[in-house]
Amino acid sequence: MLKCLLCHRSSEPKLRLPWVLSWQPLERPVVCQACWQTFTPIMTSQACPSCGRAQTQRSLCHDCQRWPQQAFYNQALFTYNEAMQAYFEQYKFKGDYRLRAVFRAVLMARLASLQPAIVVPIPVTANTMVTRGFNQVTGWLSDGENSGWLKTKHQTKAVPQSQKKRQARLLTPQPFELTGAGPDLTAKTVVLVDDVYTTGRTIRHAADLILENGAKSVIGLTLAR
Amino acid sequence: MQASELYGRQLALTPLEAQDLPAATQKFVALRVTANRLQCQRCGSVLNRQAAQLPRDQFYCYDCLNLGRVSTLTSLYHISEPNDFPKVDQLTWQGQLTDQQASCAAMIQTKFEAHQRQLLWAVTGAGKTEMLFPGLAWALAQGWRVAIASPRVDVCLELHPRLQAAFANLEIALLHGRQITPYRYCQLTICTTHQLLRFRAAFDVLIVDEVDAFPFAANPRLGYAVEQALKPVSALLYLTATPSQDLLRQVRQHELGLSYLPLRFHQQLLPPIRVTLQPRYWERLKKGKLPWPLRPWLADYANRGQRFLIFVPRVAQLAVVQAAIQQVYPGLKGLTVHASDPERLAKVQAMRNLDVQYLVTTTILERGVTFPGIDVIVLGADDPIFSTAALVQIAGRVGRSKARPTGLVRFICRSYARPVKRAIRQIKLVNRKGRRLRAEMPVVSPLE
Ligand SMILES: [Zn+2]
Ligand SMILES: [Zn+2]
Ligand SMILES: [Zn+2]
Repeated sequence: MLKCLLCHRSSEPKLRLPWVLSWQPLERPVVCQACWQTFTPIMTSQACPSCGRAQTQRSLCHDCQRWPQQAFYNQALFTYNEAMQAYFEQYKFKGDYRLRAVFRAVLMARLASLQPAIVVPIPVTANTMVTRGFNQVTGWLSDGENSGWLKTKHQTKAVPQSQKKRQARLLTPQPFELTGAGPDLTAKTVVLVDDVYTTGRTIRHAADLILENGAKSVIGLTLAR
Repeated sequence: MQASELYGRQLALTPLEAQDLPAATQKFVALRVTANRLQCQRCGSVLNRQAAQLPRDQFYCYDCLNLGRVSTLTSLYHISEPNDFPKVDQLTWQGQLTDQQASCAAMIQTKFEAHQRQLLWAVTGAGKTEMLFPGLAWALAQGWRVAIASPRVDVCLELHPRLQAAFANLEIALLHGRQITPYRYCQLTICTTHQLLRFRAAFDVLIVDEVDAFPFAANPRLGYAVEQALKPVSALLYLTATPSQDLLRQVRQHELGLSYLPLRFHQQLLPPIRVTLQPRYWERLKKGKLPWPLRPWLADYANRGQRFLIFVPRVAQLAVVQAAIQQVYPGLKGLTVHASDPERLAKVQAMRNLDVQYLVTTTILERGVTFPGIDVIVLGADDPIFSTAALVQIAGRVGRSKARPTGLVRFICRSYARPVKRAIRQIKLVNRKGRRLRAEMPVVSPLE
């Protein structure tokens, strides 16, 4: 019996033949079909090659034409729609840490396909760690902790990104720093993982920092765009 | 934060949020963690360790999240209730109670004065809100803090203006999940039972209305909420038209007193339920035919112009039933309506305005909505979707006007399901009380 993490209804998961034949370990679905279908996956073949936004064809979107060329591009798994907004409301803002399981498998699968040398999640502030109690990105990937070597400079965010207008967000100064404890980045491909790509300001700041410290290229991977 | 926001409350705050609280604030553990047990101290849920886990050996409660998260990163903050209320002229209501309502009201007040716990079993249409007024006025005049809670938001939304009209000089707080206005400290609070979880030892009197409505019966946390919100010395009044087995058990175990109000405001009994077994009613309807005895009943309604409601278990059945009726009696005018029907209000209004003679509906019209002088038919009353409480409420739609205080309540089922039997028994029981009451007239009979 499956109890959906999102709508709390019970349903019987169906065993489909290709999956049975694939000999994969039994991974129990955590959300029901109906809820899963409210999320809209983005086809990489029809997304902006720079930010991962869903489009009708694979060409630079109008937002990305304004960014300087960089050894960075972003991939996003889902369109940021109403269902995704509701998900973040419950997971990140209400703090229902159980919901990390909803996207764990798809994110891990995409991450594996990128074959990165180094994976680093965007960190949350020290204050978020004591109020929310977890990093929403590493919740999906591992244990909800911040990474050791990419850090936020400040204890708190002055104004949450989500409450700023686009212009103000683009002017946000570099919020991250590297501690000495990190791996050698020289000539490596690094995957940066974040929850949502909105203006791209946050993740591009982190990418700049990593590129300045010797990485060959940085790929962003976000759940939503 | 103002001190009054914490009077009789328990708010889950992080140390950061709790920095500048008034000196009188007490702090309690929000989530109790022992070697083999994890319990939320706000909602009482015993939590699954794995599901409640946060990083760094912290835990959170996933059962009362929508009230703001309780976790080991928070504590509950509280200031004991000071009953700091301005004196105002309370009851401005000018209405009249019937003799029976008045003596029931007097009984309620006596129970408040004696700090007792009571279940008032009042039939649908007894006028129970008005009967609360004298007791409420008395309690408020003592400077007591009072709450009226219901599991249903719509009951709260309906009660608030009625009480505000009755106590015009009093500020009454209304609390529910969809609230956007900030909390205010008031002597009288109307709230959903879920919101009671935010209170601690606050109320001298707590009234829980429609106690058996979904989801109270199915939600064990609400019993916990009631106990938390009440002061150690306090009065508790449960109001219901259809008591659950659990409440009746509490009565038998003398944890709760019981009073009946078995007569409606017009002194009439509840119409009894009549059951017809018809195993093949649905097969007939699907073929566009009216099964016996629906056909003769509708023939009679078509003839006399008698208005009626037909209840069906599922939304998908509405159109089928409607089509069969129209096929056989094209002259009968009616509509179908269900809970998430966008035209629901307009259709109910059309029925009120006598524009149509009948509605085919799901359970949504069971409470609150009244059409004077109607009959009711329940198709498939044995379907598990109809609880005892729902069936009694549906029966209670009939006979609510002084002009036509009687009417027919007829069920068509495949078999006598347990809720059907219980509904019949409950109505028989209160009617027996009601008959005795009309004969002797001391109004409220204690449980023998
Ligand atoms: Zn679901
Ligand atoms: Zn783009
Ligand atoms: Zn809880």
